[in-house]
Amino acid sequence: MNRATISRRRALQQVALLLGGALSAPTVAGVCSTATRRAWAASPAWAPRTLSAAQLELVATLTEHIIPQTETPGARAAGVHRFVDTLLTDHYPTVERDRFLAGLAAVDAQARSRYGKAFVESATGQQVALLRELDAAAYAATRGDDAWFFRRMKELTLVGYYTSEIGAMQELHVSPFGAYRGDIPYTAVGRAWA
Amino acid sequence: MITYDAIVIGSGITGGWAAKELTEKGLETLVIERGRNVEHRKDYVTEHKPSWEFPLRNARLAVGTQGAEQYPIQARTGQFHESVKHFFIKDHRNPYVEDKPFTWIQGDQVGGKSLIWGRQVYRWSDLDFEANLRDGHGVDWPIRYADVAPWYSYVERFIGVSGEKLGLPQLPDGEFQPPMEMNAGEKFVKAGLERAFPDRRLTIGRVAILTQALNGRLPCHYCGPCERGCSTGSYFSSQASTLPAARATGRLTIVPDSVVHSLIYDAAKHRITGVRVVDTTTKQTREYAGRLVFLCASTLGTARVLLNSKSPSFPNGLANSSGVLGHYLMDHHFRVGASGAIEGLLDHYYQGNRPNGIYVPRFRNLGDDASRRGDYVRGFGYQGGASRQGWARGGGEPGFGVELKRKLHDPGRWSMGMTGFGECLPREDNYAALSDQTDEFGIPVLRIHCTWGDNELAMRKDMAASAAEMLEAAGVKDVRTYDANREDGLGAEPGLGIHEMGTARMGRDPKTSVLNAYNQAHDVPNLFVTDGACMASSSCVNPSITYMALTARACDYAVAESKRGNL
Repeated sequence: MNRATISRRRALQQVALLLGGALSAPTVAGVCSTATRRAWAASPAWAPRTLSAAQLELVATLTEHIIPQTETPGARAAGVHRFVDTLLTDHYPTVERDRFLAGLAAVDAQARSRYGKAFVESATGQQVALLRELDAAAYAATRGDDAWFFRRMKELTLVGYYTSEIGAMQELHVSPFGAYRGDIPYTAVGRAWA
Repeated sequence: MITYDAIVIGSGITGGWAAKELTEKGLETLVIERGRNVEHRKDYVTEHKPSWEFPLRNARLAVGTQGAEQYPIQARTGQFHESVKHFFIKDHRNPYVEDKPFTWIQGDQVGGKSLIWGRQVYRWSDLDFEANLRDGHGVDWPIRYADVAPWYSYVERFIGVSGEKLGLPQLPDGEFQPPMEMNAGEKFVKAGLERAFPDRRLTIGRVAILTQALNGRLPCHYCGPCERGCSTGSYFSSQASTLPAARATGRLTIVPDSVVHSLIYDAAKHRITGVRVVDTTTKQTREYAGRLVFLCASTLGTARVLLNSKSPSFPNGLANSSGVLGHYLMDHHFRVGASGAIEGLLDHYYQGNRPNGIYVPRFRNLGDDASRRGDYVRGFGYQGGASRQGWARGGGEPGFGVELKRKLHDPGRWSMGMTGFGECLPREDNYAALSDQTDEFGIPVLRIHCTWGDNELAMRKDMAASAAEMLEAAGVKDVRTYDANREDGLGAEPGLGIHEMGTARMGRDPKTSVLNAYNQAHDVPNLFVTDGACMASSSCVNPSITYMALTARACDYAVAESKRGNL
């Protein structure tokens, strides 16, 4: 268990003490259940419901390019690809889901036409080169459908990563419960709040 | 059958207050609630849940997305998220017909919208109570600030309000706990704005959130999302505040899952004798008998009950001899304002999720020449706040990989936004009436006809322009205005402010109003309406505390009248 997890749990325990043990059961269960926490990133029983195995790997590869492992784990370890599959399955309207899947297919098609291989089988340098082009095009003044896809991919990666336990607690941190301090030196915090 | 001393319809902000006041004054009181029971603490099932425990990461469930299928109307508000959807009504349980876009946001539980409300509380002043008389829109209020001021104090002391005293005549001070703190960005804008406009103020929001313990409720611990429910009772809700007080008297009975069909009127006695409800689980009809009825079913819920309570004496709806019942529907118009970037202050940050923002009190049409506008009457205030950009900014800029991750490790620049909340004029042609359709409980559903008028549209231009002018004068950069209103479309349509009010207005003349100065129906002495339906004008400030004060005042009057044998 990492430092941030401990501090969150301590904060909740403080609230529980203030309440004289009245903290709601789901609250305690929600925070303390390691089973729930692990479910995202590590459950071996998990299987995608919208993405094929190949699409899932493509998504995982793309998200890891966007938020890679550094001193802290990256998007793949945080299970962002699983989050994407969940959103596509349980949240997106059909039209939007199809558009996203078409965007994935277009990335592969570009990799094949350029490198003769699927994106995930291309060399890392080739992958990065293609993504640089997609990224530049996505923020150009005139944008096409590729732009929609790459921006959406990036947004989903950021949401999926920074709302994951890894992203929120290891890379950034969750504001502790207690007092509000409106104006403190940034150096006293050192990272963005999740 | 038991005959209750009082029946309160609705358990939200005003129903809870009526229950507390009436039981504390010795009345055996029945509270009827259409929604399910929600128990304080136990049923706050998403409270303190971290983001990663939500499958959709607490996504905003917009119209048309999966997860919002049963909530095509509720999903229009930006407040409709994965974490709180269980506190909004499933729209098939309360259908209505929209002539023009009108968004009716409702709770469907004990506590009503008090669990999910915005918690901003501002007193009205005589600028508001005299507005109709002065400019001729609507009918004159039968009360003035002096009538309500002691009741504001009474309410504030009980619910707990934190805020800053300003000494402004248009926004009277109250009984405040210490204010929450502003952050560095807000302090910067405040200093610049007040320097450039000495007659305007920027203050921290006045909120029904504790900064000190009160009656066993604890000060805010700044977890952030109040609307999931608060186990420490730090914000005012029926669950945390009024219902426990009512329950402590031993005179409270609550029946949830019971939607009111109509009130039963006895023409010989000129009194209501009871309430007819439909059990939402079994769809069976039941009746309850009571000597006094407080109708607190939320503005449109109340209008619907009255319109549907027809009898030979009142063929057009109970207490509607005036014919104005259902009319003069209002809401605050908002989603218009400006935002921009603050340069520097990068060595400043904050800690804690403050569930509150800043407030800029009204500065237009205050009665003097300097503040008078030629293009519209009444006025508006701003709510807003400053913050440092978070990780989401990464989606709007080029770049990915290690460089992006490093950048998002730190917060971005400061930004500041201000959204106007504008007064809406009372107009006869904004109304709710019964349609020819019924809901699954066999109750006729409302047809709602409501649009913004020329006055609101003219005011909106100033709301955007003035926000930009003040931000720029304060030194904010890249200032942009916005206005989400779309003619005949969604974006800032009536109802979205969730400050719907009017339809059973108070007034001096029974020919042109439904209620008297004590929220008592002119036509039916033992009927009181104290929710937003009673409002004769809308002011520009958040209305809930005024409803609470009027409710407590009406209860005091009703019990006194009852003792005198007048009810």
